[in-house]
Amino acid sequence: MTLRRNRALAIVGAASVFALAACSTNGGGGAAEDVPGVTEDTVTIGTHQPLTGPAAAGFASISAATSAYFDYINDNGGINGRQIEFIVKDDGYNPANTQTVVRELVLEDDVFAILGGLGTPTHSAVLDFLNENEVPDLFVSGGSPTWDQPEEYPWTFGYNSEYTSEAAILANYAQEEFPDGTYCMFGQDDDFGDDFEAGLLEILGDDGLAASERYSVANQDVTAQISALKAAGCDVVFLASINGFTALAVGTAAQLGLFPQWMSSSSGGDYGTLETDYLQENAPLLLENFISTFYLSLETNENDPWVEHFQMVQDEYNGGGELGGNEIFGMNMAYMFAEALAAAGENPTRESLVEAVESGAVDGTGIVPLGYSPEDHTGNLGVRLSQVKSGVQAYFGDTYIYQDGEVSVYDGGAVPFENEGIPTAE
Amino acid sequence: MELERFIFLTVDGLARGAVYAAFALSLVLIWRAARIVNFSQGAIAMAATYIAFVVTSMTGNYWLGLVAALLGGAAIGLIVERGVMRFVSPVNPLNSVIAALGVLLVIQAVVGMLFGNGYYPMAVPFSQEPLPWLAGLSISAYDLFVFVCVAFVVLGLAVLFGKTNVGLRMRAAAFSPELARLLGVRSTRMITLGWMLASAISGLAALLVIPTELGLNPHATDLVFVYAFTIAVVGGLDSAPGAVIGGLVVGVLLSWVSGYLGATLSPVAVLVLLLAVLLIKPGGIFSVTKERTA
Repeated sequence: MTLRRNRALAIVGAASVFALAACSTNGGGGAAEDVPGVTEDTVTIGTHQPLTGPAAAGFASISAATSAYFDYINDNGGINGRQIEFIVKDDGYNPANTQTVVRELVLEDDVFAILGGLGTPTHSAVLDFLNENEVPDLFVSGGSPTWDQPEEYPWTFGYNSEYTSEAAILANYAQEEFPDGTYCMFGQDDDFGDDFEAGLLEILGDDGLAASERYSVANQDVTAQISALKAAGCDVVFLASINGFTALAVGTAAQLGLFPQWMSSSSGGDYGTLETDYLQENAPLLLENFISTFYLSLETNENDPWVEHFQMVQDEYNGGGELGGNEIFGMNMAYMFAEALAAAGENPTRESLVEAVESGAVDGTGIVPLGYSPEDHTGNLGVRLSQVKSGVQAYFGDTYIYQDGEVSVYDGGAVPFENEGIPTAE
Repeated sequence: MELERFIFLTVDGLARGAVYAAFALSLVLIWRAARIVNFSQGAIAMAATYIAFVVTSMTGNYWLGLVAALLGGAAIGLIVERGVMRFVSPVNPLNSVIAALGVLLVIQAVVGMLFGNGYYPMAVPFSQEPLPWLAGLSISAYDLFVFVCVAFVVLGLAVLFGKTNVGLRMRAAAFSPELARLLGVRSTRMITLGWMLASAISGLAALLVIPTELGLNPHATDLVFVYAFTIAVVGGLDSAPGAVIGGLVVGVLLSWVSGYLGATLSPVAVLVLLLAVLLIKPGGIFSVTKERTA
């Protein structure tokens, strides 16, 4: 009985969808009115970010910078005459909340797309929902390979350099620079740590790590893990840790008298964040020689037009203050969406937005090529290494990419700064 | 080598367990004073630590900050008890639990608004590096300082409740407020005093433990509270010796599990312990009478 009724309902539902679809095709010309989140003069998009709770430190400033960059674009006429409205919802880095707020964004706020949803565990919770509803899910902020599955998740695109790539590139460098080192790893007890370790072993070999310790975000005492690293005689320690646990690892190690060469994933290796949010006056000493990776301009770059431009936007639209890795990351996110939107045509649809990204119209503002194509939804294909010297984190050496199990040097250079940082249709 | 690691982990666990014990004591104290499981204790302690942090930053003196944590904790305890908890109907024990959770959310939100969500590293008066003459044990001067503080609290409470008039009146007021009042004890005042004392002690515990973790943050005491709560229940909610021994046991258990089985399992181990005690001896290992159900 109920089954039959459900089927009847389904048929009625399907019929009305067809009817609606027919109407919209017949309408012609007025495409903008039929696309969720798009009107004649606005485009509304949304994101989920940790603005409160334990993960807010170190991440909350990203979406503020994204909003500021959209304000800058809007003040300069928007994209194809449309103002971009950016809705930021707080999920407290809790996957259950992510599900709620993303449903609100899609079903109530009718957003055109989701941009830069932050976190691997959080975003994994809405991956199926967004793809079932065919909502463009652009530039996820997390280095999991999950986002790069065009067959299964055609609407989702990753952004961060994948953990495996970062790890392989770091391991490759360690083999060159510290060939006699005892290599160890300290990582998070989830996909972050596992993917990163897989990347390391790809280069170092299956028995390449003398010790591999895992921490849990639910346990802020890492003494047992760090003392095990010390006992194993580690002198190169790879870090797959979020900022707070990088700080904790480095601090605990110093207390226990362990001073290895740290080589960190970009996810927990931003000197500015580590200093401002955690270590403060202890940072220069604890992080001397600390090696990390990144794929965007560093604020310490000299004569970098992107940095000067972002600093201007920071001063005028984001309340001034110091420009850091998070602000550059957030503003780059806005720039990339604007690139995709500009290339999606005068009357953008969700389909044309995704096609624009797959066509290679999005370059970002970074120093590493992006992998976007119909077959590849990876973001940054590689990283460049940075090192902290006397409290200043700066790039050194070559930029590397990691593809098909091989690390190679990338000499394509950074994306040039054009048109005052406002993307145009190419 | 194996033995060395075992000793290292055990000693490290004892050092952390001492702080958990102090925190658990504050929960026991409120339970004894007011028959309330205070879920806002962690937030009160966190707020008291912010007060200490501000005082230490302004004066450059750790000890003034420590005094400020004690006084500030007592003051917040006073405000919470007189301002909120006193008006909660005692008919259903859930009422006070809900009210305390509300207090927790308000304190965390207000502190977040005032200080932001960043972590502040906190100064410590003694080095956190292992003492050279105890090499291998990994006991730092700071760990010894923590042991001394906690021992001081435990002795102080034992004297207060065992030897003094005020302590006796507090116990009477908690055990039977009406009867105590008939006998001339100002019960409500005793309950307030219990809250102030407990909040001051939890403030001290937070001040001691936060420098060993990520730093000061509106959520800095969340996990410590969970551990302390487990310890208080395991020890028997009104047993002070139970809280102290429970604290040390849980500290060592966490350290062993984290060191031998992995950090992922240590929070699980605490839950398993809680479950086991609740199944086998629901009153807690050190509970002697049925008064705790009063």
